[in-house]
Amino acid sequence: MATKPKLSVYWAASCGGCEIAVANLHERLLDVEAAFDFVFCPCLLDTKKQDVEAMADGSIAVTLFNGAIRTEENLEMARLLRRKSQVLIAFGACAAQGGIPGLSNVSTAADHLRTIYLQGPTLDNPEGTIPRRQTVVDEGVLALPGLLDQVSPLADVVEVDYTIPGCPPESHQIWAVVDAVIRGVALPPPGSVLGAGASTVCDECPRTRGDKRIDQLRRTWEIDPDPDRCLLEQGVVCVGLATRGGCGALCPQVQAPCIGCYGPPEGVTDQGGKMVSALGSMIDIEPLKGLPEAEIVARIDAIFDAIPDYAGCFYKFGLPGSSLKAAVAARVGVSAQDDQ
Amino acid sequence: MRVGVYFCRCGPGLDGQVSGKIDPGAVRGAVESLPDVAYFEVVDFACADGGQARILEHLAAHRPDRVVIAACSPRQHEDTFRRVCAQAGINPYLMQLVNIREHVAWVIEDPERAVDKAIDQIRAGTARVLHQEPLEAAELDICPDALVIGAGPAGLKAAMTLAAAGRGVTLVERGPILGGLPVRFEEIFPTMECAPCLLEPVLGEILHGELPGPIDIRLTSTVTAIKGFLGNFDVTIATSPRHISVDACVGCGMCIEECPTSVPNALNLNRTTRKAVDFELFGGLPNVPVLDEAACTRFTEGSDCTACLDCCPVPGAVLFDEVATATEKKVGAIVVAIGATIYDLSQVTRLGYGRHPDIVSSWDVERLLAANGPTGGELLTADGRKPRTIAIVHCAGSLDADHVPYCSAICCQTAFKDAHLVESKAPGTQIVSFTRTVVAPGKEAVDLYRHAFDGPHAVERRYHHPGDVEVRVDAAGGLAVSHATGAGEPEVTEVDMVLLLAPMVAGPGPRELAGVLDVPTDATGFFAEHNARSDATRSPVRGIFIAGTCQSPMDIQGAMTQGTAAAGHALSELVAGRTLRVDPATATVAPDRCSGCRTCVPVCPYQAIDVDGWTLKASVNSVLCAGCGTCVAACPSGAIAGHHFTDDAMHAEIEAVLHA
Ligand SMILES: Cc1cc2nc3c(=O)[nH]c(=O)nc-3n(C[C@H](O)[C@H](O)[C@H](O)COP(=O)(O)OP(=O)(O)OC[C@H]3O[C@@H](n4cnc5c(N)ncnc54)[C@H](O)[C@@H]3O)c2cc1C
Repeated sequence: MATKPKLSVYWAASCGGCEIAVANLHERLLDVEAAFDFVFCPCLLDTKKQDVEAMADGSIAVTLFNGAIRTEENLEMARLLRRKSQVLIAFGACAAQGGIPGLSNVSTAADHLRTIYLQGPTLDNPEGTIPRRQTVVDEGVLALPGLLDQVSPLADVVEVDYTIPGCPPESHQIWAVVDAVIRGVALPPPGSVLGAGASTVCDECPRTRGDKRIDQLRRTWEIDPDPDRCLLEQGVVCVGLATRGGCGALCPQVQAPCIGCYGPPEGVTDQGGKMVSALGSMIDIEPLKGLPEAEIVARIDAIFDAIPDYAGCFYKFGLPGSSLKAAVAARVGVSAQDDQ
Repeated sequence: MRVGVYFCRCGPGLDGQVSGKIDPGAVRGAVESLPDVAYFEVVDFACADGGQARILEHLAAHRPDRVVIAACSPRQHEDTFRRVCAQAGINPYLMQLVNIREHVAWVIEDPERAVDKAIDQIRAGTARVLHQEPLEAAELDICPDALVIGAGPAGLKAAMTLAAAGRGVTLVERGPILGGLPVRFEEIFPTMECAPCLLEPVLGEILHGELPGPIDIRLTSTVTAIKGFLGNFDVTIATSPRHISVDACVGCGMCIEECPTSVPNALNLNRTTRKAVDFELFGGLPNVPVLDEAACTRFTEGSDCTACLDCCPVPGAVLFDEVATATEKKVGAIVVAIGATIYDLSQVTRLGYGRHPDIVSSWDVERLLAANGPTGGELLTADGRKPRTIAIVHCAGSLDADHVPYCSAICCQTAFKDAHLVESKAPGTQIVSFTRTVVAPGKEAVDLYRHAFDGPHAVERRYHHPGDVEVRVDAAGGLAVSHATGAGEPEVTEVDMVLLLAPMVAGPGPRELAGVLDVPTDATGFFAEHNARSDATRSPVRGIFIAGTCQSPMDIQGAMTQGTAAAGHALSELVAGRTLRVDPATATVAPDRCSGCRTCVPVCPYQAIDVDGWTLKASVNSVLCAGCGTCVAACPSGAIAGHHFTDDAMHAEIEAVLHA
């Protein structure tokens, strides 16, 4: 029997949802198992890091790497799996763009440690203990991986061959990619996005759309939207129009706005920036014409005040991958590691 | 790729406007070390004939793939250097002009920092030019004819100017006669000319003159649909039946005599009647009556009256069976001159309009004083008395945030004209003018202005706030104007008549037509301009021009000047036999990335974007597109790219500035 190509699935800073999406292949997992030698997956298999280290470089055919790069351990594993894999795929929103963990980039790592371990209102930490890389206890030395200054997408730390976006990627899309690999279909040029559309969620959304003129933004609990009409036109900030399609517009079909998990569409580098500039173009300025300048500013502010959290609204899944990337350390020269 | 960089000193040696601050010798090293730069060449006056010739020769000898010219503002010389490149056989869009004069030499004091910034700018231009693509301007055939909508002073003048240049003109007028508002007036400010006489020569030319271009006049017509773009519009004109043939009728008026049905004549404040078949206005041109379907018993009751037909001496003039028609026309440009209307004064309740027949508007008074008006030109109250005292109230509803916020520009002079007419038609009448701020600009207005307030029977009272003047009607039908002066009780003046100067407003006309033509109106309801100061007679849509009071309140002089200006624009854009050059720096949609979200459609100021109803993909009409980039920025899907301003090129440019 010819040896099967090796497959690995790894999680860095992630929630485990990507593994569930893989598990959701259900009986097709058997097809995967038949086609590949599933060598490494901390969530499902017992193989350890040493086992991977022992493999020859380039001996893993495909690695689906999910999760963002948040810690030194994530970074180390990214480098290791890059070395061992022929094809490294950034799998899911966190690996692709930073994902939800990436929202922590609105503050620095040092700030997080302070806020979480020293300033939280429910804390009882009189000695001001914060996690350290190394802690000496009677039994020996305990080690923890250090936090990196900021969260990065996989492609910022190692070379990535392909990206499969989504939080998590839809199982049928995962299958489409795996199936293509099994059947030996030629892959698109490296750097391409797999398992998703080129256009946006709107392309797959059944709601009718007209010219957009928004006079008021509404949060989801403030409105019972017309199920047939574009949510954005009803004032609900649906970011589907700045989000790559491929999911099948699942959220808008159940009255929930798209929150952007498939990341920027083809040709867009900054999903949030695109959404903000589109939204700015949609605000109905007709009633503002001719008003005094201060009044115009006040009314526009009132419209946008309905968005309580810009980063969470426009960059929910992609702050580190956007052109904003991360807040810069307020205290120059002080890194999270120094504080630890 | 090989980039050739030219540095213009903008003057001789180190004394040039650029080299006086930025020593090219200090720039050379840094520029030559940029990865794709093939050479760095210094020129004295690049834009002068000698400079152009040098660059041309040098380009021809070295044939770079891309060209960067570090000189002055693209506003000034981008076209110049694009031409030079084209002459050298290099696509002009492969050249980037870097502005080191206005952006560097003129604004940076310290020569060292100027050198640094010049290097940054040239590095950015070089990074950008590598991403530029060759573009070709398209050439389109055009239709040189024009459509003029509205036959008031503005539209008539536009039509005449276009026809005089030999252009075919289609003149569409909603009413049954030509001339707009002024043919309904007696005399006009500022010099008390006879209004119909002023228009006579223009109307004569248009109706019977020998203008080289044919004028197709469509009365009782409106434009109901339009497709296409500059040089190639297809318009649909709907004509409602007049029932009297303009071609056959000789205007003898016998039908009017014989018509048995009379109805109130709204034009004359319902103080006279008109027949079901009648002239719109006595003396109006063309001199052909209209059979009013709303009045004629054949239409209202289905009668078989043929009184007009029976007496008509001309066969084929009375056409009972005429029906509404719609015809199509192809034109290259459109002049919109549909005029304006006046504010509905009954909205200003304190002024009493509509509560007493002797409270009249400036429009009513034009008719009351007109020789073809209800009293044959004599000034009488509704019950036929000669008024002893008349109040003239300025700014009736204008400069009033609750009504018409702006100054309507023509009312003060209309008031002076009315005062003058009252004085000459009813000498001795006391005229009390309630003014707020008097607007009488220009070199001619002053005579009437003096006359209005200097006469022995004239009194001027100033008021400050819109609410300071009220018109009171007592139980016995007496009229009085109450004027709050701020000191003590209001002053009350008993009068026989009140004349209210009603502001000009856009009315529903522009908005309705805007919907058909896809041109914007502004918050005041008037048509929006391409640029309110420098291009007030161009709409933002290429090939559609606006003239007269549909753009803003103005007098006849202004309207006629604008009509001529709009015609001038149309003539210069549509030269017969010439093709239309379409700048290729437009936006394009990548259909596979477009989801049809329609974000782009309303933001386009040029109505250049359509979404296909079937595929739901947007597309940009490259003739209408002006390359402004608004849709490129708005497109949330990254589906729209701006030719010559691609994201790649701009990111490269920005990054090159940031990463020194
Ligand atoms: C009470 C009053 C007094 C005035 N007195 C003076 C004066 O003394 N001196 C002076 O210089 N100015 C005076 N003006 C201003 C003057 O009337 C205007 O400047 C002038 O009429 C503007 O000409 P116009 O061609 O733009 O519009 P208009 O004269 O209003 O002509 C517009 C034409 O378009 C037609 N039209 C409208 N809608 C459509 C449509 N959808 N399709 C086809 N046709 C359409 C109308 O029927 C009309 O014939 C006065 C205005 C008012 C209201």
